[in-house]
Amino acid sequence: MVTLYRPGSSLWHLLATGRKALVLAALVLAISLLPQAWGRPTATIPAALCLACYAVPGIGLRVLLGQLVAMRWILIVTAVGQLIFLGPGPALVNTTRIAALISIAALLALTTRTTDLLDAMERGLSPLSRLRIDPQRVALLLAVTLNTVPALTRAAGQVREAQRARSARPSLRRFAVPFLILALKHADELGEALTARGVR
Amino acid sequence: MDATDLARVAVFAGIVAVLGLPGGFSVFGAVPITAQTLGVMLAGAILGPWLGALSMTALLTLVAAGLPLLAGGRGGATVFIGPTGGFALGWILGAFVIGLIVHAGARKPVWWRTLLGIVVGGIGAVYAIGIPVQSAVTHLPLGSTALQSLVFVPGDLIKAVIATLVVRTLVRAYPRAFRREWARTSRRRSEGARSQAVGSRPVGSGR
Repeated sequence: MVTLYRPGSSLWHLLATGRKALVLAALVLAISLLPQAWGRPTATIPAALCLACYAVPGIGLRVLLGQLVAMRWILIVTAVGQLIFLGPGPALVNTTRIAALISIAALLALTTRTTDLLDAMERGLSPLSRLRIDPQRVALLLAVTLNTVPALTRAAGQVREAQRARSARPSLRRFAVPFLILALKHADELGEALTARGVR
Repeated sequence: MDATDLARVAVFAGIVAVLGLPGGFSVFGAVPITAQTLGVMLAGAILGPWLGALSMTALLTLVAAGLPLLAGGRGGATVFIGPTGGFALGWILGAFVIGLIVHAGARKPVWWRTLLGIVVGGIGAVYAIGIPVQSAVTHLPLGSTALQSLVFVPGDLIKAVIATLVVRTLVRAYPRAFRREWARTSRRRSEGARSQAVGSRPVGSGR
């Protein structure tokens, strides 16, 4: 499965996962707490911080541009709502602030391997074991979930092709029932396979 | 929770992810109106409250770990910080509420309770978390944010109707999907009926 991680050796890549998460969370929090009453600076400070975060050697502004393109729909919907209800000035300030906020937070997934993030989460969530939640079982659930995605993608493709072969127009309703039954059968097989391997 | 439940929880998290993949049903021009919320509705309605909520939690945990499993290939912790973060987090409560209402009293889901549960949980509960979070992130007043969110209600209502129809079809044609007491008894009954029919057929009547 393709993850959001981009290999590299920038400052962000070198930072330990837990520390990096804390730094980014602090930045996000600081930006969120900037008083609205300041007007322009509530947009320029986040924008400057965001540019500084991405200007670090090894990442670059091209990656930032890619991030902004990827979140264009969220930004457009936000900007339109702001324009209608608040007018152009606040719309510009708030949309810029949100774009900066999301881009800064995106650095975590961009520069950390998914396995490292999962490990860090496991460590962070270790107090959960006091609530009688078995971390191994959580790990098993996440691993199984990840493995169902390719199988289910294949099942979705099969259903679509079968319907195209019968020249049915693509419709969500006609797609959903056969897809769900294939998925549930896959779940039954998966359950049997897990039971056979001694998972209770 | 036994191994089969674990597999079903995993599969429904996977279903929501697959419904968000490109090549899906992103109509309305190029704006990605995805089928992912349909998956959330079905997870709650089929798995029930606890397993449905667990399934959504598993999906969102993987998203937070940097897997692009949300519509449009979005992922990472940043998803929960942006304006739509509350809507994604709302899936957990949404699936839970849907499961509570659809399976109320451990009875077989009837269509009106299914529709009610899906609208209250899949739209009401999800928006109840999504709108305040969006308002806090965008600094747009709560009322205006709610008004803006109305744009998405028609699409979600269509998905709620589709989910209800799908659940009704599954109750009739594939009751074992629900893994519930009533599904077991209705299956036994239909199996009994089938064995009777097979037994009553005269020997040698086939070709």
